[in-house]
Amino acid sequence: MSQSNREQLRRNQAAQAQQKRLTRIIGVGAAVLVVVLIGVFIAVVIQNQAHTVTASSATPPNATASKDAIVVNPGKATAGAPVVELFFDYQCPVCKQFEGIYGASLKSLAESGAIELRYRNMTFLDNNFNNDASLRAGIGAACSDFSGKYSAYHEEIYANQPANEGDGYTDEVLRATIPATLGITGADLTSFQSCYDDQTTKAFVQGTNDAASKSGVNATPSFHVNGKDLSLQTIAGVQPDGLGDLIKQNA
Amino acid sequence: MSDTSAVSLARRPWQEWVTLAARLILGVTILVAGLLKVTRLDASVQSVRLYQILPWDFAFFVGTALPILEVIVGLLLITGTFTRVSAVAGSLMMLAFIIGIASVWARGISIDCGCFGDGGAIDASLTQYPLEILRDTGLLLTGVWTVWRPKAPFAVDNWLFAPIDHTDSAPEPITEDDKESTR
Repeated sequence: MSQSNREQLRRNQAAQAQQKRLTRIIGVGAAVLVVVLIGVFIAVVIQNQAHTVTASSATPPNATASKDAIVVNPGKATAGAPVVELFFDYQCPVCKQFEGIYGASLKSLAESGAIELRYRNMTFLDNNFNNDASLRAGIGAACSDFSGKYSAYHEEIYANQPANEGDGYTDEVLRATIPATLGITGADLTSFQSCYDDQTTKAFVQGTNDAASKSGVNATPSFHVNGKDLSLQTIAGVQPDGLGDLIKQNA
Repeated sequence: MSDTSAVSLARRPWQEWVTLAARLILGVTILVAGLLKVTRLDASVQSVRLYQILPWDFAFFVGTALPILEVIVGLLLITGTFTRVSAVAGSLMMLAFIIGIASVWARGISIDCGCFGDGGAIDASLTQYPLEILRDTGLLLTGVWTVWRPKAPFAVDNWLFAPIDHTDSAPEPITEDDKESTR
């Protein structure tokens, strides 16, 4: 073998080795990129599916036109009465306390027509507790609106709130115990339970949570009078029977 | 691989051991943060939204993709694969987190940073912004160091970018790839 042939062979080998190295680097790089793309794609698809509206979907009869709340006293508010919005999550202990202290006077203000009372249900505590109890409680409450028992069902959920924060609500409590307590029976009970079991109001409840979150509310309970936040500290400064005046002052 | 023999390990300059430590600290932290969030993407999206920086719908994408990216970047850093690029990604994440936390702090929003999956609105007295920023700054420094000196023992890069073994002594002109492997 001549000197130049040997040199040629050596160069070829070097070029091959170089090519192999490059292939290796590009191969590993491409594999990493593919893993990233597939991982993100799968996650987005799964997340999107989880938020897809179920086939049977319905909006409660007393929902607002923008579907962001349920009106507790439909048709009762006098003209020009302030709109009071209560933001809550059924797994929030402070919301239960708030209901216990101010619930009755809010209800009587609503009944008398002095205010229009809207309940804006949030479900973000499901994420904190890693369960779906807020959503299911919200679905049950929205379903009860079809039987005209929304306000009473709402109170009963709090009455059944587990002592240990995050334990959540069982299906049994939401679909059987509470309706029994409220006297929802017969055909009403059948249609309520099918509404609950089919999660007919799921999209609506997710929508009320998203609407509240989009409007900047991320803590519960929150209290709005004509769209303006009234802080809990301010409310805590008045007795329940002073709530009406406080609302008037801030309307 | 000559890398793993005891003699050559001992001969490595101290900077490479610093890089190994920096790479592992940053990589393990990001991996753990990603793993804690990846199974609870709804919570992750919610955490991103609580910062009130990104538009509502874009936050959905970021909250979904971030945990996946964290897991992958964490693994790349731990294994020392494409170390410099991974360290750039890790550093950019830390920079983004620092900016995000500083931003909510400045705007008086009270949240848990949600860095390890437990985000949420919390009482103002419970916020830990200085500590969170200090932690992320430390992690940013490990990232910047690794970008500066990516070479370290126990790295896939040592195999991936291994220089071509020339059995004869003829010097080869230094190519771009060779520079890469000796960076």
